[in-house]
Amino acid sequence: MSLKRINKELADLGRDPPSSCSAGPVGDDLYHWQASIMGPPDSPYAGGVFFLSIHFPTDYPFKPPKIAFTTKIYHPNINGNGNICLDILKDQWSPALTISKVLLSICSLLTDANPDDPLVPEIAHIYKQDRAKYEATAKEWTKKYAV
Amino acid sequence: MYYESDAVSFEYDEDDDASDSFSFETEDDDAALSQAKPLYYTSNGTTDDNARTSTFNNVWYRPWTLQEFVQVHFLDKMEKLKQDHLPNCSVDELLIMLQYKKWQSEEVINDYFDSRERLYKNSGLPLDGKSKNTFTVIQDFSCYVCCETYPSTTVYSLTCGHQFCISCYYHYVTHEISNSKLITCIDPECTLSIPHKDIDEIFATYEAKVSAVKVRKPLSLNPLLISSAKLFIDSHNTYKWCPATDCNHFTELLGTPKEAEEGEHLKESKSTDISQVSIIGCPDHHEFCFDCNYENHLPCPCWVVKLWIKKCEDDSETANWIDANTNACPKCQASIEKNGGCNHMTCRKCRFEFCWICLGDWIHHNNSYYSCNKFKEDKENGGNETSKRKYKSKLSLQKYLHFYKRFAIHESSMKGDLKTLSQVNEVTRLYMEARKEHEHNLSWNDIQFLPDAIKSLANGRKTLKWTYCFAYYLADSNFSEIFESNQDYLNKTVEDLSEIFESIVSKKNTNKVGTILKNKNKIINLSDLISSRRKTLISSAEVNLKEGLLSFSSE
Repeated sequence: MSLKRINKELADLGRDPPSSCSAGPVGDDLYHWQASIMGPPDSPYAGGVFFLSIHFPTDYPFKPPKIAFTTKIYHPNINGNGNICLDILKDQWSPALTISKVLLSICSLLTDANPDDPLVPEIAHIYKQDRAKYEATAKEWTKKYAV
Repeated sequence: MYYESDAVSFEYDEDDDASDSFSFETEDDDAALSQAKPLYYTSNGTTDDNARTSTFNNVWYRPWTLQEFVQVHFLDKMEKLKQDHLPNCSVDELLIMLQYKKWQSEEVINDYFDSRERLYKNSGLPLDGKSKNTFTVIQDFSCYVCCETYPSTTVYSLTCGHQFCISCYYHYVTHEISNSKLITCIDPECTLSIPHKDIDEIFATYEAKVSAVKVRKPLSLNPLLISSAKLFIDSHNTYKWCPATDCNHFTELLGTPKEAEEGEHLKESKSTDISQVSIIGCPDHHEFCFDCNYENHLPCPCWVVKLWIKKCEDDSETANWIDANTNACPKCQASIEKNGGCNHMTCRKCRFEFCWICLGDWIHHNNSYYSCNKFKEDKENGGNETSKRKYKSKLSLQKYLHFYKRFAIHESSMKGDLKTLSQVNEVTRLYMEARKEHEHNLSWNDIQFLPDAIKSLANGRKTLKWTYCFAYYLADSNFSEIFESNQDYLNKTVEDLSEIFESIVSKKNTNKVGTILKNKNKIINLSDLISSRRKTLISSAEVNLKEGLLSFSSE
């Protein structure tokens, strides 16, 4: 059941690709994808390309996919292992959401971080106290790891 | 209220003999209950007829089934709310609002009269109160979630009109149900909640697709309500799940004579007052300890149980298992694993009859005193210091294995007895048929002795099992010998009864009914004897511990 759905999503991505991201299977395994996101222009991540790994559970789409950044990124909701704190990847997941929609949500998370529900409290603190410092560090990391 | 346990008569459960002067068991007799005890008042001032007491130490408790709990805490609450405050709301609406407000009727009433619109919106109800939820069969339907195209399928939609196939809704609800929260429309933008009744319908429709039979369950078995009840029980420490295998019931502790703080203190300390052990029962009459959530472990106090369990886990499990569960035939050395309850073994190979516990010839056990459970220290003397130390550690391991082996034997025998019990149903049926043929003037009550005897046997084994844990930690004294002889008596009686049952269900026995008839009096006498010996053993252990005549050696 999940395979049909994953194939459909892959076909939809090919037919109507989103402007700022791409995704597709790594090898023959349709349950393991790689995705890339372009840093949004109005954010300190502009100019960078970030890679993510996507693992589909066998009971997809009733369980959310496991998505993590493989490129290092300086962000209050993304930790050193690339784990993302995003409600729709956890309890707000709905079977009607798609990888394309999730990637777009991650793009908007890059533009608007959520420092009140941080995964990395130190970055969230700097984000709130000294926005300029946060943006400078984020830009520096983007240049270092994502260009 | 429908009370399930009364219907079950052949379960492995406890004897409810209310006439015993010393009893740590549940008293099911309503008359005895109301006579002897004041009625328990619940927090809202009403009496609770289902409250029980363990007369052993006056622990008040109430055994619950999940279905009963859902009825009392959710459905009755909803009915009351409808009758007293919100008669215009439908059952679906009330359940959704109550679930949203975590079953706090007061909050529902307050919010409703504060702003009905806001409450409806937040709990996911259509504002005009007219829900248009539908199950329809549609031809050529493409489901957005599973991407299947069905020639014909049932489709569910809420008032919002978002349609998804029944199979997707079934899988979606199955995943969401464990959150014990309201389940909304699959569409992520949509906040409408699926009514409880529709959840049942989703399950019934999907299962009908698979099994072709549509089963409708009562609302008290609603999966979301059951899941919410489980969450409630898990998050309140006055409730404990029954630890018995496959038992889904639980028990609420209503009050104990000891204060909460004192109770904590007792749990920590190495108290030897076993009258403080909170033994309670579930609706199926499984006895268990509220404090440590183990089965009824009397005569051991909780802390001894913890030490024992830890020790059993520490020592090499496999070695112990092999040691405790298999034996070589003492005559022909064939490996034997025991699969029944009785300890009187006959080797399939050489027909040698022996005792499973001591591996001695069974002849010595038959009429003489059953003496194979005493631990006799080897009289061997060590020479130098090293060999003395070695000898000591060997002895300590021997001592542990001696008791562990007996503990494990009774545990596995208990399972064997349960297997026998499952065959008793069949034998009972045969018995009833035989009765009809011979036109005996008997009633169903007359064969009640069979399940009663099995219960008694299982209880006897349970107590026996824990006496070995007890004996392991017991310091040597003259009184420990009295304890051991009590243990012997119980052991002998239990084995005798177990043997009768084995002979009844044995494949070789062609006249099972005849065997029952012939042994009826013997079975009744033995099961009574087990009950009384079990009680004697525990009460004497309690008294002797209290007076310091028995003590535990620290290890």
